[in-house]
Amino acid sequence: MEAKGYSFMRQTSSIVLRSVYKEYRRDEFVIPVLADLDLEVAEGEYLALMGPSGSGKTTLLNLVAGLDRSTKGEVTVHGQVLGHLSEAEVTRWRANNVGFIFQTYNLIPVLTAFENVELPLLLTSLSRRKRREHVMTALRIVGLEKREHHYPRQLSGGQEQRVAIARAIVTDPYLLVADEPTGDLDRTTAGEILDLLELLNREFQKTIVMVTHDPLAAARASRVLHLDKGRLVDEVIQETRVSIAS
Amino acid sequence: MIPLKYNVRNLRVRWKTTLMTILGTALLVASSCILFGLVEGLEYSLKVSGDPLDLIVLRKGSSNETTGGFETSKADQLLTLPGIQRDPSGAPLAAKELLNIANGERANGTRNNLIIRGVQPASRDLRPDFKIVAGRDFVEGRGECIVSKIVSRRYKGGQIGGLLYFGDKEQYRVVGIFTAGGSAAESEVWADLRDVEKNTGRDGSVSCVQIRAASLPDYEKLQKTINDDTQFKLEAKSEKAYFEDQSRMGLFLKAAGTLIAVLLTFGAMFAAANTMFAAVSSRTREIGTLRALGFPQSDILISFLGESFLLCALGGALGLLATLPLNLLTIETFNFGSFASISISFRFGWTVAAVAMIMTVAMGLFGGMFPALRAVRLEVIAALREL
Ligand SMILES: Nc1ncnc2c1ncn2[C@@H]1O[C@H](COP(=O)(O)OP(=O)(O)OP(=O)(O)O)[C@@H](O)[C@H]1O
Ligand SMILES: [Mg+2]
Repeated sequence: MEAKGYSFMRQTSSIVLRSVYKEYRRDEFVIPVLADLDLEVAEGEYLALMGPSGSGKTTLLNLVAGLDRSTKGEVTVHGQVLGHLSEAEVTRWRANNVGFIFQTYNLIPVLTAFENVELPLLLTSLSRRKRREHVMTALRIVGLEKREHHYPRQLSGGQEQRVAIARAIVTDPYLLVADEPTGDLDRTTAGEILDLLELLNREFQKTIVMVTHDPLAAARASRVLHLDKGRLVDEVIQETRVSIAS
Repeated sequence: MIPLKYNVRNLRVRWKTTLMTILGTALLVASSCILFGLVEGLEYSLKVSGDPLDLIVLRKGSSNETTGGFETSKADQLLTLPGIQRDPSGAPLAAKELLNIANGERANGTRNNLIIRGVQPASRDLRPDFKIVAGRDFVEGRGECIVSKIVSRRYKGGQIGGLLYFGDKEQYRVVGIFTAGGSAAESEVWADLRDVEKNTGRDGSVSCVQIRAASLPDYEKLQKTINDDTQFKLEAKSEKAYFEDQSRMGLFLKAAGTLIAVLLTFGAMFAAANTMFAAVSSRTREIGTLRALGFPQSDILISFLGESFLLCALGGALGLLATLPLNLLTIETFNFGSFASISISFRFGWTVAAVAMIMTVAMGLFGGMFPALRAVRLEVIAALREL
């Protein structure tokens, strides 16, 4: 029964949160951020998280991505209970399973586009030649293969974010997390980035969890969740995407 | 592994701070190296001065050639003792020498004490590698002298043909320049024994007698004979021991040098730490990103320690490079025993290289340790929030 339940979870739910409670402690102050949260995200799903500032979106994303630990409750991603992993193990787990996309791109300024994308591969045992192949594939997917030698400062914001996306997918991770990936971009450029995320979700079957303030961005997702004061308030299934998802 | 180019380029990007730190550490490494190079030079000169078969005979109780002498008659007796090495012509390898400390005027107008050594022919063979490198040797009884390179350069009238003037009664015409294998003699003026006797009015006395024994057993026998003779009241010291005694100043300089080097290293450590702390805090979000991407804490530690090492190694290398021209450097200082000037040449040896190396490693390690640990301890999510 249990084994069956587990395999059921594995096949249909990529991310499972059970009674997750999260608080931050600063000195004697306790700041509750997420309260008794239950959530399941299916494999290949594209989830958008919305909600007012301070509602706990980033916190939730960090828990799912293995950057932070829940105070209570269990976070399971792709069958792995993250709470069972040591700090070093969860770091390795991130390297293998999660691609990060940040609002501020977070490219390393002193490294070229190629070198930035190559970074996560330096944690693997891939040969130099293999790494080059992977990096160029990733850059090709984001349409920047001609910019491999450019430094971040020589790229536009949208291009920087595309390099960051290439870096996020170069290890072919299972899950992509994006915290306001279009927050710093104009509408047109944001549209291009969202097209790219949609492509990664549809063509490459990446599970994506994206935090956004932009309803237009959220509209691209297959499912939108609203957080308010650390609780999920309602759930909107995007009708347009349901047919595609199912 | 975070690639090294990440650190190299970061150092290049903030090149002003990098350059400042490199120059600072270079200066500190250089000054310590100079100090140790001079100590090494001093020790070398005293070491090569002593031959294991050489004896130096002084009046009993006198620790230095320049203080107190004894009668020439006793000295002449010494020269007839058995067991003294002989040169090819059959003359004994032993010499009476008379030292006079005279106040000489330097080319820059200042005055300093110089050792004038009245010597006999054998004195030359009793010094390592004695060579006339310019001009000729002096002719006895003509008021001529030969000088070392340093004396020739530094003192008024020290050039060949010049007159070293110490007073109306004491003056010598310079006819040649000699070297003596870097030994202590290279700080001196050499003249004929009889000229010095006459000029100083110290007829009938000598400062010391230098003797080279024919063999080790002879050496021991000679030393025993001289020391045990109650009429002589003389002391035959091993030349090696004599110069080792004189090198107490080297020990002092070494102790002072070590202390200064340690203090300087601490200073440089703070400079390096300061630079690295600034680097860590300006790259907080980068560190958070690297951690998020899956780089373990150990990689972050190695990367920032490596950057610190790189910084200090550049400084150390530059500091060492800066001491290269000093291989030609010779400084004049006091011999605390005789208060006469002795010159010390900078020697670039293992000590200097080791000093530079140790300082660099210490600076890199301790200067980089705390900043690197701070980088390691950063909480990933907090670091990612940084702007
Ligand atoms: N490391 C921390 N220490 C203490 N409090 C924290 C920490 N991180 C987040 N918080 C608090 O938790 C709450 C939720 O933060 P979170 O960053 O998840 O909000 P958010 O929904 O992402 O907001 P925004 O839209 O502004 O990014 C906030 O009140 C915040 O102050
Ligand atoms: Mg947020």
